Amino acid sequence: MRTFYLAIKYLALLLWSSFIVFPFLWALSTSFKDANAITSGATYIPWLQFEPSTQGWASLFSDGSTGINIVDPYINSAIVTISASLIAITLGTLAAYGLSRFEFRAGFIKNNDITFFFISQRIMPPIVLAIPFFLMLKTLGLLDTVYGLILVYVALLLPIAVWVMIDFFGNIPRELDELAMIDGCRPIGAFFRVILPNSIPGLVVAGMFCLIFGWNDFFFAFTLTFTKVQLLPVAIVSLNSSVTPWWSLSAFALISVAPLVLIAFLVENFLSKGSLAGAIR
Amino acid sequence: MLEMRNVNRAVDGEVHLDGIDFTFEAGKFYTILGRTGAGKTSLMRALMGLMPLDGGQVLLDGTDITAVPVWERKMAMVYQQFINYPHLDVLDNVAFPLRRQGVGKAEARRRAREFIDLVGLGDLIDRRPAQLSGGQQQRVALARALVKEARTLMLDEPLVNLDYKLREQLREQFPKIVERNRDSIILYATTEPREAMQLGDEIIVMHQGRILDAGRPDEMFLRPRNITVAELMGEPPISSFRGEVSEGAVHLAGGLRIEGAGRTLPAPGEYLIGIRPEDVQLGGDLAARVTMSEISGSETVTHLILPFGELLMLSQGVSVHEPDDRLNIGFAAADLFFFSLDGDLVSAPDREGQD
Amino acid sequence: MARIELVNVAHSYDGGKEYALKPLNMVWEDGRTYALLGPSGCGKTTMLNIISGLLKPSEGRLLFDGVDVTDSNTAGRNIAQVFQFPVIYSTMTVAQNLAFPLVCRGYPDHEIRRRVDNVAGLLGLSDKMQMPARRLTADLKQLVSMGRGLVREDVSAILLDEPLTVIDPQMKFELRRKLKQINREFGITMVFVTHDQNEAMTFAEEVVVMKDGEIMQRGSPQDLFERPDNTFVGYFIGSPPMNFLDARLEGGTLVCEGLGYHAPVQGVPAGARMQLGFRPEFVVLDGNGADIRTRARVEHVDNLGVEAVITLSLSDGQIVRAKQQGRFRAIAGENLGLGVRAENLQIYCNGQRLG
Repeated sequence: MRTFYLAIKYLALLLWSSFIVFPFLWALSTSFKDANAITSGATYIPWLQFEPSTQGWASLFSDGSTGINIVDPYINSAIVTISASLIAITLGTLAAYGLSRFEFRAGFIKNNDITFFFISQRIMPPIVLAIPFFLMLKTLGLLDTVYGLILVYVALLLPIAVWVMIDFFGNIPRELDELAMIDGCRPIGAFFRVILPNSIPGLVVAGMFCLIFGWNDFFFAFTLTFTKVQLLPVAIVSLNSSVTPWWSLSAFALISVAPLVLIAFLVENFLSKGSLAGAIR
Repeated sequence: MLEMRNVNRAVDGEVHLDGIDFTFEAGKFYTILGRTGAGKTSLMRALMGLMPLDGGQVLLDGTDITAVPVWERKMAMVYQQFINYPHLDVLDNVAFPLRRQGVGKAEARRRAREFIDLVGLGDLIDRRPAQLSGGQQQRVALARALVKEARTLMLDEPLVNLDYKLREQLREQFPKIVERNRDSIILYATTEPREAMQLGDEIIVMHQGRILDAGRPDEMFLRPRNITVAELMGEPPISSFRGEVSEGAVHLAGGLRIEGAGRTLPAPGEYLIGIRPEDVQLGGDLAARVTMSEISGSETVTHLILPFGELLMLSQGVSVHEPDDRLNIGFAAADLFFFSLDGDLVSAPDREGQD
Repeated sequence: MARIELVNVAHSYDGGKEYALKPLNMVWEDGRTYALLGPSGCGKTTMLNIISGLLKPSEGRLLFDGVDVTDSNTAGRNIAQVFQFPVIYSTMTVAQNLAFPLVCRGYPDHEIRRRVDNVAGLLGLSDKMQMPARRLTADLKQLVSMGRGLVREDVSAILLDEPLTVIDPQMKFELRRKLKQINREFGITMVFVTHDQNEAMTFAEEVVVMKDGEIMQRGSPQDLFERPDNTFVGYFIGSPPMNFLDARLEGGTLVCEGLGYHAPVQGVPAGARMQLGFRPEFVVLDGNGADIRTRARVEHVDNLGVEAVITLSLSDGQIVRAKQQGRFRAIAGENLGLGVRAENLQIYCNGQRLG
């Protein structure tokens, strides 16, 4: 009986994972095909079923004659996402610590209301924010610049950082802060010397969320830039599948998600090593 | 010398500290005895500066320190939960407070090492708290509190979350562990009267945010100021019931009569009468019904019902009595406590040769 | 209701490298109360989970009234289980909670009402039937979780896994009394897992002491106290633990000079470690009426109010603890008579009791 259930379980898992992995496999095999291989029906195994070609990958790094430019959007996306994530995590962690440890009060507004205010930013449909952001950046003269995008992304990522870190700090006993203060730390010292070193798992999780959301955002990257600055998601969409060949598109798509896949592996490794679990009880 | 003057604290209408006036003297080990919620933790937090006060002052050697923040008070504390720095190993956990005082790394570690050896964790200095058992974690916390050799050391039920046998072990080692800190003021909160009596030079009994009485353990045990102190000072607690003193005897409900038999009884009248469980004996002329017997391993507490009320009987060893068993028990007038109907002590048993 | 039998049962979580429960045979008689007592990690919870069916033993068979149930799940065994934390359906009232197992099994309404009313009456929940279960205090929630097991009249046993952990100290007594009462009314086998000797000995007719996956002793509370089978039980049960004095063999005579003990002994392998064990409660200070007598030096006296614990050293340097009810007056350095009655003295050979 048990082996039967086990078999069913693995079968279901196998089905589901192939469902997830298949598009990637498809993109991977397509990226190594040439026109001939693509038009000759569904084939998957290189050398056996089709003759692999590297022209798709080569086209990404050629000098624009193919109409494909991946390097600039890649660099822009990296700068914007990483800077915005770092700023958001720094500010978000400080805000979250304040909200989890000290009582704030402005009229009827208390800690919970402030927290909700932060998170509510993500409840609104992005379109509501697009016009105000556009006007603000216009006034500041930051439209179509990397700085403008960083600013907007910080605003978008901050709620995520605050949300993750409030929850994390909530699980660190207050007595730990008190202990640090009894042992001679001022509140700020308690935060940096004791709370922060014990918050690395939380920071990793928050950082991962920020990078994923920042890297993948298309909407603001699209509405707040025109010609000078282009981010990766916009660059992908701007490739027209009737002009750009399939092999180039596939290679482009794969290289775009590569950093996120890498992060996922690193974090997974970090998590499974147990350096996170059990660090805090 | 640490002084509390009329310290008050209430949160959402619930009184935590109610007019606390007390002076702690250096070189004394105080045990604070009271039930959960009696205000023991609040009292410590007020002294530490971990809690805002609604009113009153805290003075150290005559200087008002009420407004001095916790990190400048130079006190030490051990919590009942096992609180240590999770990211530091045992050695650095204990060295942490010294480093904050500006002691050099090598010196801090050397001194930390001494106290780690003192609490018996010498072999585990490179472990993280999460790799230690509960008892070991609490030893780390103890060492960290002791290493500062602070003038005030607070211990908030440090053994309460440990297993029975570990608690017994650590309690026994306690006097030796705090030896080097004996010039300090030491406060130790507990719910267990035996622990309070074993460790304390002086016992402070708290109840509902107030200090009911304080004094030497034997004084507190033999002459409790009122019925509440008497109840808190015994585990199992003293039993009490109403009775009347007249014609040289004590009269209880149900027509029962206990002869004075040499005991100087208080003036005739109605009293609240108390008898300690260890003074109730099997074999006597009072018929009692058992409601339950509790066995602690080496002694038995039998809960009894008599015409005048409920009574506890403590006997050494294991003796099982089933519910509804009938027993004959007895106690002597010499062992009775008499309290006024408001609960104040009127007359305690005369234990000859008190020291 | 059932007689539960474990035949050669053993369990290992890692495929036989290390046994969490070493091979054992055991019978739980119908209608009795049992406690599984031991330090954490001793295998008591593993044993409980094997009985309930949450865990399939890696070796051996489990019989309920002679029927092999090793392969049936918890539901098939008709076991009711109460956990550390009360499990209640928080959206339902108390009455709905109690009725739920019967509703699920499609019992007729009048039958459900009859049984629920009956169980509620016994548990003292009759006046709270319409209350939402989440509003109950922890001890009452625990009663409701047990009540859900009791409404099924075919239940074979109730297993309780540290059920008093989250209960207020003041309420523990009440709950314990209810448990005993339930056992008497229903005659259901109850197995209670705990690390607290007080709970185990108060609750159970028979206590099973475990350590490292093995049963150290099985017996009545009185057996465990008066005749521990091995030095572990002597240490684990009772506070302070049993005194163990080293003795040596001279020909066929067992000698302990400090205690003034000389007696013939038989069937002891050469080179075995011999110890004499006796409870601190059985030490007779002054030695009157004891068959084994010596003199000892008072090292330390702890007057704990209800009782006193006296630490003494014998002429050969070995330490003896004595426990006396009430107050004990002696000063360190004083010499006293010390005695033990022969019937209270046990002989241990390599940690196991002789005879």
